[in-house]
Amino acid sequence: MNIRSLYAATAAAGLVLTLAACGSDDSNGSGDGDASGLDLVTDGTLTVCSDVPYAPFEDFDESSPSGFTGFDIDIVQAIADGLELDLVVKDSSFDGLQSGLALNAGDCDLAASAMTITEERKANLAFSEGYYDSLQSLLVPADSGIASIADLEGKRVGVQQGTTGEAYANENVSGAEIVSFPSDAELYQALQAGQVDALLQDLPVNLTHTTDGRYTIVEEYDTDETYGLAMKKDNTALVEAVNEQLAALRDSGEYDELYDTYFSEEAAQDAAESSDG
Amino acid sequence: MTRSARARLTTVVLYVVFAAIVAAFALVADWEAISRNFFLAEGFSGNWQAMVFTGVKNTILYTIISFTGGFVLAVILVLMRLAPIAPFRWLSLAYIELFRGLPALVVILFMALGVPIAFGWRPPGGTIGAGLVALMMVAGAYMAETLRAGIEAVPKGQTEAARSLGMGGGWTMASIVMPQALRIVVPPLTNELVILLKDTSLLFVVGLATSQKELTTLSRDFMSSGPSAGTATSLTLAALLYLAITLPLTRLVAWMESKQKRSR
Repeated sequence: MNIRSLYAATAAAGLVLTLAACGSDDSNGSGDGDASGLDLVTDGTLTVCSDVPYAPFEDFDESSPSGFTGFDIDIVQAIADGLELDLVVKDSSFDGLQSGLALNAGDCDLAASAMTITEERKANLAFSEGYYDSLQSLLVPADSGIASIADLEGKRVGVQQGTTGEAYANENVSGAEIVSFPSDAELYQALQAGQVDALLQDLPVNLTHTTDGRYTIVEEYDTDETYGLAMKKDNTALVEAVNEQLAALRDSGEYDELYDTYFSEEAAQDAAESSDG
Repeated sequence: MTRSARARLTTVVLYVVFAAIVAAFALVADWEAISRNFFLAEGFSGNWQAMVFTGVKNTILYTIISFTGGFVLAVILVLMRLAPIAPFRWLSLAYIELFRGLPALVVILFMALGVPIAFGWRPPGGTIGAGLVALMMVAGAYMAETLRAGIEAVPKGQTEAARSLGMGGGWTMASIVMPQALRIVVPPLTNELVILLKDTSLLFVVGLATSQKELTTLSRDFMSSGPSAGTATSLTLAALLYLAITLPLTRLVAWMESKQKRSR
């Protein structure tokens, strides 16, 4: 055997082994072998994808066991505890989550990322019962003189790409340039850099930018939006289990405790602001 | 077994193994899921117009702008790099090392979001203007090094001959060395163009209005709205469109390189 065919044979053998490994991996992954009877990416673990940071729903926190904190994270931690599963949180891109690609690709069992339940998303995802009712809101610099959505003519409005806030802005803002950014991190920077004049996005996230008084929320929009936990379309067992856990959290009062942790103070501040305006 | 028989047998075995690998991929893949997620027909028919007339148009426009700006910057940088006055050489070297060492994404974010916060100055053209300036700055650093290599590849005898004929230093550079150097650097500069074309996809991070979106940003939009929402069909379409632009360019580079080799 000359040296070149030796190389080729080795490479080929390597490939075959890799393929064989893939094949056997597959059969393990889809097996219903774990105790809970759920079809999970990794047995015994609830793997959750989330687009972090998006405070107060998800943020980084080295001191917490999962490495993350936030309302969504606490909810899925409680669900994982209830199902006697370990929680693993993966930071992902919102595009991949809301299109269902991350779930279909087997990256995670559940997407918890302040995701509004929409008919369009339901075509490719299974949603839990809603766990949070959200409002859209308009954040502007405190000294800007912008008082409502009608004052945005000729201005630049920042939105997050692929979100319901972007859809709302496209439908309801006239005469303004709507600029989409990948996440709240860039959005808030762009507002501070003066690249946009206002941000239109979920109320709780805008609220976190009002605490130092430089920015203020001038309007809220009730769009009948509810956040849901997203799962792979055919994973009905998991959807049922998650819904049971959500119901149990509400019954036990644990849900209210979690809610107050993140939203009670802000809710008061929010009420004060809307009476001012 | 004779030597030649063994060689034939080896060849046959390798073909069989190759066929087995192809067959294994074909059997293991979930074709139904692949076609549903990546090749949805409605997505191709419904999205291609926006993808071509907005996405490809802006991608090419941004590439041309940042390449042109980057090239001008590179010429300045390389002249400084070869200047007889040392501080100019240091400045040029420092710039090149800095911008070759930073990821383009970081430079883009810094120009679009960092500079206005730090200095209260916004590059012209809004976020996209800032993003393009950042791409120029990065491309300029790479192209300056390419140009320098080209200039140094021109035989020293050319300069010496020109100078002995009484030509000045600047004139020698402009009329004798630069034309030859440019011919040498055309293939690597075309490679730079292809890299820059792909780097325009990083502009998504600065914030783009609907009419400013380039190919990647637009395809990400179509993952969540329009006829192929919820699938990656628009990514497939974007990939095909990128290849439609880059493959002719890279083939052109290969052709130019082989031609250059022959002419030596």
